[in-house]
Amino acid sequence: MGYVRGLRCRECGAEYPPTRLSVCEQCFGPLEVAYEISAVRESFRREALASRPRDLWRYRELLPVFDESARVDLQPGFTPLRRGRNLEEVLDLQEVWIKDDTVNPTYSFKDRPVAVAVAKAREWGLPAVGCASTGNLAAATAAAAAKARLPCYVFAPASLEPTKLLLPRIYGATLVPVDGTYDDANRVALLTADARGWGFVNINLRPYYAEGSKTLVFETWEQLGFDLPDVILTPLGSGLLLTSVDKGLRELRELGEIDGAGPRLVGTQPDGCAPIVRGFESPDGRPRPVRKPETIAESLAIGDPASGFEAIEIMRRTRGFGDAPSDAEILEGQKLLAQTEGVFSEPAGGTTIATLRRARADGRIDRDERVVLFITGNGLKAPGIWKDAFPPLAPVPPTLAAVDAYLGGTRHG
Amino acid sequence: MVKLVLASPIAVATQGQREIDVEFEGTLGQLFDLLTNMYGRQFQQRIFEGNGSLKRFVNVYINGEDARYLNGLETPVPRDATIDLLPAIAGG
Repeated sequence: MGYVRGLRCRECGAEYPPTRLSVCEQCFGPLEVAYEISAVRESFRREALASRPRDLWRYRELLPVFDESARVDLQPGFTPLRRGRNLEEVLDLQEVWIKDDTVNPTYSFKDRPVAVAVAKAREWGLPAVGCASTGNLAAATAAAAAKARLPCYVFAPASLEPTKLLLPRIYGATLVPVDGTYDDANRVALLTADARGWGFVNINLRPYYAEGSKTLVFETWEQLGFDLPDVILTPLGSGLLLTSVDKGLRELRELGEIDGAGPRLVGTQPDGCAPIVRGFESPDGRPRPVRKPETIAESLAIGDPASGFEAIEIMRRTRGFGDAPSDAEILEGQKLLAQTEGVFSEPAGGTTIATLRRARADGRIDRDERVVLFITGNGLKAPGIWKDAFPPLAPVPPTLAAVDAYLGGTRHG
Repeated sequence: MVKLVLASPIAVATQGQREIDVEFEGTLGQLFDLLTNMYGRQFQQRIFEGNGSLKRFVNVYINGEDARYLNGLETPVPRDATIDLLPAIAGG
């Protein structure tokens, strides 16, 4: 079983062997993978990491895949950590880094958790895989399934951006376009997976799936020269990315690789679907489910977030905060990132930038804090939101006079 | 006939039974009282908190609608309704 000790309930602490359980049998709470940390410590060493493959498997001791041949060879992860000097100037910050997950194999961070979940499906010989998706996971699961030669079934709201509904089909998956919200798609996906014995990555493989996402923080730590930022900003859908990042930090601490309080973890959601942020703002710390999300940030439009309670607890514990910008601010955030740093993110990235901007304006993030932004998905997947800001242009005749007329008196230098 | 569908993790509360048909008329709370009679305190302890509220790790749907968006345990259960009991920890 490699370095894995078993599964542990995050709620009641019950422990299980590392089998196909998806939730705790005692309390139905979330399960997480527990490791034999002393064994991990033997080989998870900084000098050893340097010579390893430049993908997420470089952290193999802390990923729960036992059979190396079960891995799907799409090489997700080890994405660039880009210094955002132009963004620093605009937002009056000393040090900002962009963890650019727009360049993963299917252009979002979802390639990370899918890599682990599909490897588990292969280890267990499951006949098919699938997922419930707000868009990004659909493509990631479909691509990994294609490479693994497994049938794939993706459930997604029929109202998603056409590109996000197209991609999984190109990869060969069967798309079930659900007439409803993401939560509707998730419910019928759960019932389908249960009835048919299929492995749905974010449903009945979820404890393993969650492990892939924490590699974002391992990479950040390594790419900063084995150091951590003061603040990490990350978008929140179900909250699972934030809980996975927190788990990664916990493991680095248990290994003795980091000490101190650790980064403040900040979560951001669109104002039109902010169940976790509204819960963070409430004295009781309970998420506020949203029946009908309304936002351009489709990938974050999860009204009933499964990891919402935990995400709120983590933001409070790490002295972070939750924030919910408007769709207009999100679009401005996307433009700001593209036009300062050359990174075109989907609206989730714009949400992250918008929160950074708001937090600078009201002082929730200080000028001298070192900030890392998790930019989790590529803007090319969601082009439809730009039709008002960038309407089609009339063609310019191919003459210098016409170009001069078109450009007017613009001069540079 | 009301049809109950329990996802397999939740079916530990009903001795492994994942589909249950019952003749029933009343509220969701009364339906759970009936199930407690059928499956004993084990069912009640698995599904409810000590204060009588539904556990936050169990989602209940009446004909596909989350009971929290309806009237919770006071929601009338239509004749021939399908009730799903699913783990809340799923998705994302």
